Amino acid sequence: MSIETIVQTLLFGALIGSLYGLAALGLSIVFGVLKILNVAHGELIMLGGYGSFWAFNLLGLDPYLSLLIVVPGLFLIGLALHFGLFARVVRFDEEDRIKNSLLIGFGLTLILQTLATHLFTADERSITTSYSTAAWEILGIRLPLVRFSGLIIGIIVVVALRWFLRRTYWGKAIRATAEDWRTAALAGIDIRRTYLVTFALGAALAGLAGMLVTLQGSVSPNIGLQWTLKALIVVVLAGLGSVPGTFLAGVLLGVAESASALAFGGAYRELVGIVIFLIILSIRPQGLFGGSHA
Amino acid sequence: MLNWRTGAILLLVVALIALPQLPFGEKDLLTLLISLFILAALSSSWNILGGFVGHINLGHGAFFGIGSLVTRSLWLDQGWHILAALAVGGVVAAIVALIVGAPALRLRGTYFAIGTLALAEAMRLTVGNVLPRVSRLPGPELRVYDIEPRYYLALVVLALIVGVSVWLSRSRIGLGMMAVREDEEAARSLGVNVFLHSMLAFVLSAFFAGLAGGAFAFFHVGYYPNYTFGPVWTFDAVIVTYVGGVGTVAGPLLGAIFFVLIRDVLAANLVNIHLIIFGILFIAIVLLLPGGFVELLKRRGQRLIPAGASTEH
Amino acid sequence: MKRLLFAIALIVLFLLSSISAVAQDNGPEFIEWGASIPLSGRYAGPAAQVERGYRMAVDNINADGGIYVEEYGRQIPINLTILDDESDPVKAVSNLEDLYSNNDVVVYLGGFGSDMHAAAAAVGEVNATPYIGVAFALWDIHQQGYHYLFSPFPKSPDMSRVTFELLNTLDEDIRPTRVGILQESTDWGIEFASFWTEDAEANGYEIVAHEEYTPGTQDFSDLILAMRDADVQILLALPSPPDGIAIVTQMAELGWVPPFSNIIRAPDAPTWIQALGSNGDYVAFMPGWHNAMAFEGVDALNEQHIEMMGRPADPLVGPAYATVQITAAAVEAAGTLDRDAIRDAMAATDMDTVIGHVTFNEDGTGNVPTAILQYQHGRAELVYPLEFATADLVYPAPPFEEREAIGD
Repeated sequence: MSIETIVQTLLFGALIGSLYGLAALGLSIVFGVLKILNVAHGELIMLGGYGSFWAFNLLGLDPYLSLLIVVPGLFLIGLALHFGLFARVVRFDEEDRIKNSLLIGFGLTLILQTLATHLFTADERSITTSYSTAAWEILGIRLPLVRFSGLIIGIIVVVALRWFLRRTYWGKAIRATAEDWRTAALAGIDIRRTYLVTFALGAALAGLAGMLVTLQGSVSPNIGLQWTLKALIVVVLAGLGSVPGTFLAGVLLGVAESASALAFGGAYRELVGIVIFLIILSIRPQGLFGGSHA
Repeated sequence: MLNWRTGAILLLVVALIALPQLPFGEKDLLTLLISLFILAALSSSWNILGGFVGHINLGHGAFFGIGSLVTRSLWLDQGWHILAALAVGGVVAAIVALIVGAPALRLRGTYFAIGTLALAEAMRLTVGNVLPRVSRLPGPELRVYDIEPRYYLALVVLALIVGVSVWLSRSRIGLGMMAVREDEEAARSLGVNVFLHSMLAFVLSAFFAGLAGGAFAFFHVGYYPNYTFGPVWTFDAVIVTYVGGVGTVAGPLLGAIFFVLIRDVLAANLVNIHLIIFGILFIAIVLLLPGGFVELLKRRGQRLIPAGASTEH
Repeated sequence: MKRLLFAIALIVLFLLSSISAVAQDNGPEFIEWGASIPLSGRYAGPAAQVERGYRMAVDNINADGGIYVEEYGRQIPINLTILDDESDPVKAVSNLEDLYSNNDVVVYLGGFGSDMHAAAAAVGEVNATPYIGVAFALWDIHQQGYHYLFSPFPKSPDMSRVTFELLNTLDEDIRPTRVGILQESTDWGIEFASFWTEDAEANGYEIVAHEEYTPGTQDFSDLILAMRDADVQILLALPSPPDGIAIVTQMAELGWVPPFSNIIRAPDAPTWIQALGSNGDYVAFMPGWHNAMAFEGVDALNEQHIEMMGRPADPLVGPAYATVQITAAAVEAAGTLDRDAIRDAMAATDMDTVIGHVTFNEDGTGNVPTAILQYQHGRAELVYPLEFATADLVYPAPPFEEREAIGD
């Protein structure tokens, strides 16, 4: 096997991993702050994907421009979902929160999947633009532009989120609530609103990931579970509480999968990622980048 | 009250045993009941760890899968008697739980949930890679396929798990498990060995999930070996348990009846949209009836029975 | 007088009862058929074509009054009950049991997908009810001694054979020889890979790469690069739709296209070109049928389909339609609604349908023409068999960056 092939494979792994990282960011924030597990996160990614697909096909909107509709759209959907459903869950103590959010998320999965099948049919959809599969070639290594944009967008989102969490009122409120909601409440932070904003933010991030998923691969009503699982693995690999850590863990997972495929062949690629995850989980339950409090 | 209830349960059991001999005990009814029994048994087995001890196992399907895989290959490929194959299937599932349990039970709350989910996914992928061929009964065997033994086997598996659940809910060990669920620290200070109780529940839970898987393997005519490892089995068991009433013996049974009947009724009459309706109904139950059906019955009951009759919290 | 009245009354009664006996002997109101089809879940997209084909054919037969059943001496309309199995094989089994017990169906029509058929066909065996299905190429199902299973649809060996027949038509000086197999690690993948390997060697081709992957993989780059490094000229694969889209997208991103690629299954989806644009072009695929195969009845079928959907019949509509034609003929030939008689009549099938002349082998596989299609400028052109071809095979496939965008 040539050096070019090895480098090319690992590069592809890193680029696909950046998508894992983006998909996990929203889930991680919601999980860390609200202490609920939204198993319908993958379905939100799916909705974001369809949003871009239809914006492209009906309005002729470039997928990157469609983010201006899709991200706020998913933010609103997030608001509605939290307002109508998950807000009722966060009133419980932590144990019940997880359980009930799991159940509601599962019910939501059923509804959204079936609804999407009805509205959009079960066919695979993808967005193909003139630049879809364009690539730069450097020293015999090809850098696909669309995938590279995923990495860049990921980095921008990470930087922006860090700024948001550290510099803005809502960001500080979110961090304080994640740390200890009782203390935050005593400090005069409106916990309910913080939860609402956080959940909507998580949904918006899912929408962003959904656009990239559709542009780089395809979307169909049943992609949700697969992405929820990937996102969960990344979240646990990274541990809670670190935005750059979550993204980086996604990239690392992608690279690890590629490396394993080179070493053992393609059939065990997905498995190796999970096994690494299980090993890390049993040695370091708080994750690679998580604080010890998790 | 107790006599009335015992009588009703006895009557039900007799009716279930006699059913295949009755004129209306036709194949479609038996098929429906077999899926009901298997789902109820699987949910009850999940309930031992998830309900009594309070550890959310999202990889429960793996034990269902192990049970079905082992039972099926011993029975179908090796020609063992189904009961022997079934027992070994359950035991293998329990042994896997014993091995996995030590590292897994160190994980807390959500991490246990996600870890088990990933573990099951890893097993599903491995089985899919190693055993990609569909496992099906050969033609000649199908033409003499008899539903009755399948029915009785599923019924026996369900009876076993319900019996053990009843025993657990009244025994010291079961009380210890529930103490762990309510407050681990408090339980420890009372002298309850938290790890041992969790482990015992995990192993029991896996054993019965394995038996349910074995019953499925005996019943089903053709499926891919990794199908029984799928997350849908875990999710169904979790939904059923919560809808019925988590941590109670009757909960998973009521939940399973609701689940299978609603699915069947809606699927027959409202092809296509039944999943949406089911999802909405399900969320409504979770939000408006957090204790599941059992709580609803209890609330009704409390209105009829003088206060203090209910011993549970 | 009283006696006479009594005698007349007796005679009238007798006549009346014999008339009602004739009425009873007139047979059931409907011929009950049943199908469990994945109307929701992962197979819902293509399965809709199967459902459409069934309904069109049944409606046409019923519009003519139904099937003539000799035992009752009259035509009886078909009542086709379709249940949704949510792409879940367990649900499919329980649906088929319902159809047997509640609807008393005499024939099962199959759904979609090999894993669904693998579970569902067994119910036909259990209930001694003929099960006829299309839209699955898995050959192995037929090797289990099933007695009631029929499938008038190309199977893996047929598909593999015609691929090399098509390649053999190319001039020797340009004919490619180096084969790469990109195999899904499922039973169908294993089966197909072994037929491909066998046929390639028998026809003087060389397998230079053989890679496996798990369905649902996101990243195919290492496999594609392995194909590129082995200088593969003939790419053979059978991915699911999302995997197929991912494979072609990543091939384009990596800038490698083999001169000939035969991709089974994924390109069957009507959204293939919409998803991939010109990158989806020049792929050869085998959905089982094409509406340009001008067999008897195809013109009428296309017209009816255009009326309903605004386009000629989709690839699975034809085989589904033929399934109903074959089943109706079997019921008529049996002359009764007895399941075993229908099964025997079906086994003896020898007739023309919209998918051509159909007979069945001992194992229930059908002898049917196998079509190869190729996307050219976004259109699915029939390139084999040559007698019906709507276009010549484009070979070699031009590089991705030299292709023109597909206009509307």
